[in-house]
Amino acid sequence: MSAARRPDQYAPLVGLVAVVTALLVLELLIRAGIVNKFIVPPPSEIITSFERVIVEEDIVHRFLLTATECLTAGVMLTAFGILGGVLLHRFSLLQRACETWIAALASAPVVLMYPLFLVIFGRNAWTIIMIGFVAALPPVILKTLEGLSGTRRVLINVGKSFNLTPAQSFWKILFPAALPTIFVGLRLGLIFALINIVGVEFLINFGGLGQLINELAERYDLAGTYAAICFVILVSVLFFMALERIERWLRPAH
Amino acid sequence: MLDVDGLHVEFQTPDGPVVAVEDVTLTVRKGEFLSIIGPSGCGKSTVFNVIGGLLTDHGGRVAIGGETIAGPHPAIGMVFQEESTFPWRTVIDNVAFPLELVGMPKTQRLERARHFVDLVGLSGFERRYPGELSGGMRQRVSLARTLASEPKILLMDEPFAALDEQTRLLLGDKVLQIQQELRQTTLLITHNITEAVQMSDRILVMSYRPGRTKRIIDIDLPRPRTSAIVGSEAFGRYVAQIWADLREEASRGMNDDELRRGAAGAARTGA
Amino acid sequence: MAAAGTLTALRARPWRDPVILLRVAIVVVLLGGWELLSRSGLLYRDVVPSLGAIGGALLALLSSGEFYFHLGVTAGEIALALLIGGTLGLIVGVVLGGSRFLAAAFESYLYYLGPTPKIIFFPILIMWFGVGPGSKIAMGAVSCFFPIALSVAAGMREIDRVLIRVGRSFRASAWQMAVKIYVPAMRHPIINGVRLGLGVGLIGTLLAETKLSNKGVGFLIIQAYSLFDMPRMYAMLIVLFVVAIGANAAIARFGGLDTIKRS
Repeated sequence: MSAARRPDQYAPLVGLVAVVTALLVLELLIRAGIVNKFIVPPPSEIITSFERVIVEEDIVHRFLLTATECLTAGVMLTAFGILGGVLLHRFSLLQRACETWIAALASAPVVLMYPLFLVIFGRNAWTIIMIGFVAALPPVILKTLEGLSGTRRVLINVGKSFNLTPAQSFWKILFPAALPTIFVGLRLGLIFALINIVGVEFLINFGGLGQLINELAERYDLAGTYAAICFVILVSVLFFMALERIERWLRPAH
Repeated sequence: MLDVDGLHVEFQTPDGPVVAVEDVTLTVRKGEFLSIIGPSGCGKSTVFNVIGGLLTDHGGRVAIGGETIAGPHPAIGMVFQEESTFPWRTVIDNVAFPLELVGMPKTQRLERARHFVDLVGLSGFERRYPGELSGGMRQRVSLARTLASEPKILLMDEPFAALDEQTRLLLGDKVLQIQQELRQTTLLITHNITEAVQMSDRILVMSYRPGRTKRIIDIDLPRPRTSAIVGSEAFGRYVAQIWADLREEASRGMNDDELRRGAAGAARTGA
Repeated sequence: MAAAGTLTALRARPWRDPVILLRVAIVVVLLGGWELLSRSGLLYRDVVPSLGAIGGALLALLSSGEFYFHLGVTAGEIALALLIGGTLGLIVGVVLGGSRFLAAAFESYLYYLGPTPKIIFFPILIMWFGVGPGSKIAMGAVSCFFPIALSVAAGMREIDRVLIRVGRSFRASAWQMAVKIYVPAMRHPIINGVRLGLGVGLIGTLLAETKLSNKGVGFLIIQAYSLFDMPRMYAMLIVLFVVAIGANAAIARFGGLDTIKRS
């Protein structure tokens, strides 16, 4: 069995090597003319475009713009999402009436309302922020509800045995117990928000990173477009990893 | 019918090779009910997997009717310890599964399957799903499924371990009744002494790791047997004898466990 | 037992059920508020059209052959996208789920690439597949590939090992193992993956249509926007939402996600 264990340790390395090899093969195929370099620019050219894109296209400013949009949406999500979840938990009639509707909203293509939001909010950051907010709201509400409802009965009874008021019981027992699940909801929500925000930036050609990709594409800067896409993917992945770290830090025993 | 000769099984662990089974030799005669009993960790499930053909990396030889096995043999039917019914199939479709695999036409296999569903006492439950049944009933479905393949040797690994005592006794009765009716050659792996004495013609007692044959006992109780026999004097004597053998092995197993848990705890706290 | 009695009473007289009452009340308040806002003239004209205007547009939409043509185009694109992305996702998921080594090597790429905005790949897909339906199908396929592959991979690993052993003990062939054991054992992850895949595939295809197309529902939405035909846009969004939510629910129901079959 131990002979079988060692290859697993090297697996991520093998994966990385495989990806790099694939890129090298692509580079060779393009240089040999087998793959049209006006459709797929050589990876080497994409890598060199990185520096150009970063310097010339004011990437820091764009990144901050997108980040601010996400932050705003995130704050709204936290406030309204958690509040919504708490209200649904508190008023079970409301929960029974609305929970399935909210779950249905989670599966709806909210982002397709962006033309509508364009009309309502105009061609500015608020359209982008609002789409991110609305699309990401359902998971935050539902997870908050799930976290509060899932508090173990015995913990609530402990509170009762100490004669806690409903407010105390909520703040000292229910809310802390629900916090890990609430954070899962926030993580999901923030990810959805980022995806939709960057997407809408691209679609309406306004904003930060998403808009950059659109602009480079319209300028037919092929290598630059690829480089910008890679950059956005990188930002997205790092954001996701950071959220995962925080979540793991919040629930060490789980 | 079934010959196990000098079975030797070794596993690689992070702490080095561990001998799970050492030099186990046994013969199961046609129509016989043989139980293998031993403490937890004695390697009996390993023996089960080897005879069933799911574990082929071993020393020694396993032969059925003289033919050495290399993988699951058609003459062997296995009943596993864990829940093994297919939750997405009804009872009748579960039991008909082995017949489906060999391509038996639908009407024929459903009729055949119904026979075995009746045999285990689940008539009327054919269209139910395992999720609607109790644990004991699900094990009966697993048993019926294996019996439907009409194996020459029925191989069972602690099939009643997850059930409560009363269900276990009643199911034991059922298995005995079936075995006597079909004259089914059966090899039962168990840790339950009462169960073993109640059902077997012979009992092989295994030692704690490395699992060796400690003793083979002939159970000379009259047939047909039921769970009522549990109260008889002769029964008690057999149980006492086996417990005497097992006790020493079982306590060795328990000490080992505590040592290991202590070491793990110390490692965790960084002692 | 009192609860059961209440339930039967409620089913006989649904207008007494407080949940239904509340839902009706919410709908009435929302629609009423909408109509008030529409007539108040507070917002720029037609941003909030009257319910009558929206209803009329909805009717006109549903009775126009043109709409069904575009709906058909979009449906065709999504179907192909799901077919391509789903098949690839299934294969990759099975391979990754079946091999611990391959999963350790490559699955994290899928896992971290999953939650990224796929629409930004669209310019590349246009270059590769042209401005016609090809790029929209590709967009949908790229979108739905990830949730399906990840669901299937996870599903493979969660299969109760004893069921595999049962199959092997009965000497099932590789094909029999795949069809009679692996696939049914994974039915929940597969259905869930397809449900998620349909959701994001739908979004990907439609967004691509809004960006660059002259056919399809996405195109119609952008066309309504550019013509400032708001009632029509609302009508289309309503139809879209109903179809998307309905398809989601249908798949969940069809997959038996709420039946007793679950172990």
